Amino acid sequence: MINKNSKEIKVGIADMKIARQEGVLITHALGSCIGITIYDPMIKLGALIHIMLPEATGAKSSSVYKFADTGIKETLRKLGAFGGRKNRYICKIAGGAQMFAGGGAAGALGHIGERNAESVKKVMQEEGIRIQKQDVGGTTARTMLMDVSTGEVKLRIIGKPEIIL
Amino acid sequence: MSIKSYEELDGMALDVMREIGSIGTGSAATALSALVGDTIKMTVPEIQIKEFNDAIDHLGGPEDIVAAILVQMSEDVKGTMLFLLRMDFVNAVLKRILGKEIENFFQLHEMEISVLTEVGNIMLSSYASAISTLAGMDIHLSVPAIAVNMLGGILAVPMAELGYETDQLMLINGKLILGNEKHDSTILMLPDIESLNKLMNKLVGGYDQQE
Repeated sequence: MINKNSKEIKVGIADMKIARQEGVLITHALGSCIGITIYDPMIKLGALIHIMLPEATGAKSSSVYKFADTGIKETLRKLGAFGGRKNRYICKIAGGAQMFAGGGAAGALGHIGERNAESVKKVMQEEGIRIQKQDVGGTTARTMLMDVSTGEVKLRIIGKPEIIL
Repeated sequence: MSIKSYEELDGMALDVMREIGSIGTGSAATALSALVGDTIKMTVPEIQIKEFNDAIDHLGGPEDIVAAILVQMSEDVKGTMLFLLRMDFVNAVLKRILGKEIENFFQLHEMEISVLTEVGNIMLSSYASAISTLAGMDIHLSVPAIAVNMLGGILAVPMAELGYETDQLMLINGKLILGNEKHDSTILMLPDIESLNKLMNKLVGGYDQQE
């Protein structure tokens, strides 16, 4: 169960937060973006990343967490510094939806969610971390939260009951 | 010197954008009046350049449910435009056109969606045509796409489109006035950086000469 009294730590778009022992990491309204939780159950260390684009290649932007590749790598480096170990990590991902339907614009922009999901999976595979659970694709936004005291990950989707990932 | 991001737009450039906004939304209001069969007026809009996360906080909560119409611009100006419809404005429109109101966004069916898409399309194409005329540049708009979902997830779409170039959005906020009602109206005008420079050169002048 997610402890209601636990402190919520908000993760914005193109952002990442780490918490230890307690606290709920939350990122709101993942559309085509992907939320990635990485958790080390032995030391109760967790991170939540909110990426927006698949790869940093050629980007003029300075934000590492905007991109799947640089965002995941930087997070793993930081988790490592906090004592996290790759062989214990539990990784879950959510998001990558196609938000718009029914027009020329939907087609051109629609594949970004899919590409984000592919990139996250590829980077995780390269890092040797298995994605234990995922809820990606579809046409609706998701809010993702992780209770760092238990490692439990939940998703909120409009018009549906909260689900445990 | 050319502009590298939206936040480099100076006071004069923002004044020009506001002027365009005023003309664009003015003609959009006239076109909408004809569609809804009631007089619609629009206040002079404010132009705001906001970082992604600030933009969402400024427009409401990330989990607020809204409808949005998105079009892609091509030809001389490339990029995206988006019009946000909040529940109160959705009802103001549906009441006048279809004679019905909804309690939540799940009650939007094919007919309602089609009306809202058309409203967004009129809004955005009037706006684009005002810019096109003033700047003397061709702007072609795609068929409109619609989403009804969380605000954060919707805004992330144009953000991702611009994400390799900038971390900011350009918001054009004003009020639509229908009878005694006032509704917030938000248009996102998001040319890519190259098109933004072209636009500014045409409309303000001097951005290239300042080097």
